[in-house]
Amino acid sequence: MQTLSTDVLVIGGGATGTGCALDLAMRGIRCILVEKGDITHGTTGRYHGLLHSGGRYVTKDPQSATECAHENAILRRIMPHCIEQTSGFFVITPWDDESYGDVFVTNCHRTGVPVQEISVAEMLRREPALNPRISRVFEVHDGSADSFLATHSVALAAREYGAEIRTYHNVVELVRVGDRVVGAIVEDLRSGERIRIDCTYVLNAAGAWAGKIAAMAGVTVTVVPGKGTMVAMNHRMVNTVVNRCKLPSDGDIIVPIHTVAVIGTTDVHVPDPDVFGIEPEEIQFMLDEGEKLIPGFRQYRALRAWAGVRPLYKDKDVASDRDIPRTFKLLDHEERDGVSGILSIVGGKWTTYRLMAEQTVNELARRLGNTQPCRTASEVLPVPRFEHRAHAMVTVSPDPAAQTPHYWLGKPLALVESEHAAGDLICECELVTRDRIIAAIDAGAHNLDDIRRDVRMGMGPCQGGWCIYRTANLLYERRCADGLSHTHANEAMLHFLQERWKGLTPVLWGDQLRQARLDELIYAGVLGIHRLRALAEPGGGLVTQHPAIATEYVQA
Amino acid sequence: MYDTIVIGAGLSGMLAAIGRAERGEKVLVLAKGHGATHWSTGCIDLLADVDDPLAGIAQLAIQRPHHPYALAGPAMIEQGIARVRTIGEAADYPFAGNLNRNLLLPTALGALRPTAFAPATMIAGDARQLRDGRPTLIAGFAELRDFFPPLIAANLRAQGIAAEAAQLALPPTQRQHDFSSVTLARLCEQPAFRANLGEQLAAHVRKGGYARIGLPAILGLRHATAVVRDLQNRAGALIFEIPTLPVSVAGMRLYQILEDELLRLGGRIQLGGFVQRAEHIGDTLVAVFSEAAAREQRHTARHWVLATGGILGGGVRATPEGYLYETALALPLQTPDGRAGWFAPRFLDEHGHPVFQSGVRVDQRLRPLDAAGRLVYENVQVVGGALAGYDPIREGCLEGAAIATGWAAGQA
Ligand SMILES: Cc1cc2nc3c(=O)[nH]c(=O)nc-3n(C[C@H](O)[C@H](O)[C@H](O)COP(=O)(O)OP(=O)(O)OC[C@H]3O[C@@H](n4cnc5c(N)ncnc54)[C@H](O)[C@@H]3O)c2cc1C
Ligand SMILES: Cc1cc2nc3c(=O)[nH]c(=O)nc-3n(C[C@H](O)[C@H](O)[C@H](O)COP(=O)(O)OP(=O)(O)OC[C@H]3O[C@@H](n4cnc5c(N)ncnc54)[C@H](O)[C@@H]3O)c2cc1C
Repeated sequence: MQTLSTDVLVIGGGATGTGCALDLAMRGIRCILVEKGDITHGTTGRYHGLLHSGGRYVTKDPQSATECAHENAILRRIMPHCIEQTSGFFVITPWDDESYGDVFVTNCHRTGVPVQEISVAEMLRREPALNPRISRVFEVHDGSADSFLATHSVALAAREYGAEIRTYHNVVELVRVGDRVVGAIVEDLRSGERIRIDCTYVLNAAGAWAGKIAAMAGVTVTVVPGKGTMVAMNHRMVNTVVNRCKLPSDGDIIVPIHTVAVIGTTDVHVPDPDVFGIEPEEIQFMLDEGEKLIPGFRQYRALRAWAGVRPLYKDKDVASDRDIPRTFKLLDHEERDGVSGILSIVGGKWTTYRLMAEQTVNELARRLGNTQPCRTASEVLPVPRFEHRAHAMVTVSPDPAAQTPHYWLGKPLALVESEHAAGDLICECELVTRDRIIAAIDAGAHNLDDIRRDVRMGMGPCQGGWCIYRTANLLYERRCADGLSHTHANEAMLHFLQERWKGLTPVLWGDQLRQARLDELIYAGVLGIHRLRALAEPGGGLVTQHPAIATEYVQA
Repeated sequence: MYDTIVIGAGLSGMLAAIGRAERGEKVLVLAKGHGATHWSTGCIDLLADVDDPLAGIAQLAIQRPHHPYALAGPAMIEQGIARVRTIGEAADYPFAGNLNRNLLLPTALGALRPTAFAPATMIAGDARQLRDGRPTLIAGFAELRDFFPPLIAANLRAQGIAAEAAQLALPPTQRQHDFSSVTLARLCEQPAFRANLGEQLAAHVRKGGYARIGLPAILGLRHATAVVRDLQNRAGALIFEIPTLPVSVAGMRLYQILEDELLRLGGRIQLGGFVQRAEHIGDTLVAVFSEAAAREQRHTARHWVLATGGILGGGVRATPEGYLYETALALPLQTPDGRAGWFAPRFLDEHGHPVFQSGVRVDQRLRPLDAAGRLVYENVQVVGGALAGYDPIREGCLEGAAIATGWAAGQA
């Protein structure tokens, strides 16, 4: 068995783990990060897309509110290319308790969340689609954030600082000598090989899976997996994040992000972070809630539904799941459980990932005798090569006027037109060019789903109808010299078709149902891909099937 | 007032219209847009996964008496196809094939797809001939993003066909960018473009000794047969086209020859109008209202054919609440009970997804019935994808069932 050694082994390639790897590497601490899927395979790639102002937590979870407000300002500085300056409204609809408005404002002031009441007329001027029966509106600093791009940017920076990041590496065992964890056994899902990684510290940043990792060290960490479902609508009915002004509940936020508006979410406790489904009632409920904010919401085309699991940490002394705070916690297992060599960072939000990493790495650095200060709040993150240049330009431009606050599909379109690259559009819905697909392939994408997370290929209205075929072919042409065969390319296509299908079925009606039928005509009719099943097999450095990264589908 | 108004301009609607126009009726085809012909292969699939389609259909008709093939009957299948073939012959766009034996033609992925009839421009790609051991070249253009020779060739090789791949240089043209299948098809009708292409192909043949060359189905829009003939002469090898992703040039040609024929017979076509309600007296449909550019228009006829193509064609739609409805005449539908039963968990499930078998139930004369089996309109016939109880894509009978039922409605 191959053996590697490092100072800190980070487990989990979500926002938290990747943030920790960057902070460690910036301070000159050697680290290896292992992630069983792709970067953002976990909750980070299945969240709502909201850069919290903190408003949502001012009443029930004041500490989270203050942390969000603080980090919100920092993230806008260090990752402008990932954030849309949408602003946010908290609105009181006829279905909400009028009296909460004043409580909300008081609590915003108390927690340091900037807030300002605006008139309903002003709200309607800025967002004409909103319900005119809304009675009060409070504006906060919400934004929308692309967690795929953000986490890739953090990972890129971490690599530049010397961190080693290994995706499709699943931790199967922690190695314990007496009361000390000294390393881990990791399976490379591409080859099936096992690797041993020796380290001074293991950092468990496995989100909703943190309990499973802790159990490998023989300690108990209770993470209550709370599933939330979201629906992307093929229309930006609003350019501002819209929250219901009430205690946090289901279906009460609409986030405009990229080409879509996402409504969410629900909170259903599930037995296991890998075992959950999307129930039809959840979708209907969200459409109903959407109607309250935006009359006619149901008539818009729904693109896709997905679900993520909250990594809620339940302390030993918390009685009911409802009282679990949304803030994060760093667990020192030596002090808590008598097992040294391992720390767990649990809970939190995407918005607070950097702060979580800072506090975690402060503790690790202290123990390793490293005195370097944290610099993640001031260093601007790099832009991956596969990102569209029209967006990348936002970061490099010193001119604030060039920094359009909104994602604007017209911008890449203008670039595509000026470069006469229309014939090079591989994904026409999301305006993804051949160059960007190839850059994602060259950056090491391990299947079409990785490319999708990198460049949004297949995320538009047609959900891959044309671009799956094109992208699989580009992957084959690019990689066939280094061992990717036609059987692997066929498998990649079959895998991704199924990947898109599973998030479509909950929202198939109207035009999207017709689109699904057209996609079936293309793949089962015109291309006859099912006839190639015997010529499809996993491999070629692609990971398309593995129990460790499969989300089990459970029908109600 | 028309004798017959056909709602829907897909294959089934066009066949019904041609049949009725031929008998001297005054016919209008009224549709929102083109049908699935523009998305499909341009071939005529009768029944996939059987050696002998006609025998397979006879079996099917016994097992599933409500299948469109069973309703139309074998005579209509044969006559309808014969009619399409004579139209093709007359337009110098002949179809080759056989009712009793499926061809196996390569797809743009290199899978081998059964179909009963294909345009002559595709016929040299039949796998039985490709397997004769002589080398085949699959060639395309890097500029065309809907056709990738290397994977096609690799998949064909894995199925015992000696195929190789090449990328051709795009012949010089005025155009600078965005080469879609349709723009390339127009370019292929220019002699200079074709001459350059022919030279390149000939050079490949000299070097690789290829007996056949497979190209994307972009070889001309109106004069494809002549384009292929010319390229074969220049290249010194047989040439066959392979259907590409939508928009399908081969599908457009099939539509075009039918449209030409209908116009020649005095029929009319009005596109861009979405039929959204009907007027009736008892069980007689009197008029429909179409909407175009927010203006409503009333159309009247003695006889009606509904050819709106089911979910794919837009003739059947679903609401978020899980209710399916027929969009033009609000006819009763036969659907799976409850949204929970609409889909199979796997996208490529071999039985397809039950929701796509939703459609209108009809009597032996293709007239619509309600859930209790009562006739809804005595002067309406329903054809093609709008019919219930079959999955034309998964059964591989998209064109066959459309032609058979469309032709049947054109006769009665
Ligand atoms: C429905 C929903 C909506 C949300 N919306 C928002 C929002 O709008 N704004 C916001 O700020 N926050 C939001 N959150 C919270 C936020 O998404 C999470 O707090 C954050 O993404 C957690 O990041 P993480 O890195 O801790 O966990 P994850 O992203 O889950 O990362 C953990 C990683 O560990 C990996 N892993 C697990 N086991 C192993 C193993 N054995 N070996 C190797 N790797 C392993 C997993 O694959 C996973 O990628 C939302 C959460 C949910 C559930
Ligand atoms: C900020 C943000 C914006 C987004 N915007 C868009 C967008 O504009 N367009 C878009 O298309 N998507 C969008 N997405 C969603 C994205 O496409 C994915 O759905 C998301 O990343 C989760 O991946 P997944 O679908 O694989 O999730 P999963 O959670 O793995 O899958 C979703 C559902 O499928 C079920 N499932 C899992 N495995 C199977 C199986 N084998 N068979 C059947 N069902 C199964 C799951 O139980 C779950 O119910 C966005 C996501 C984020 C975070």
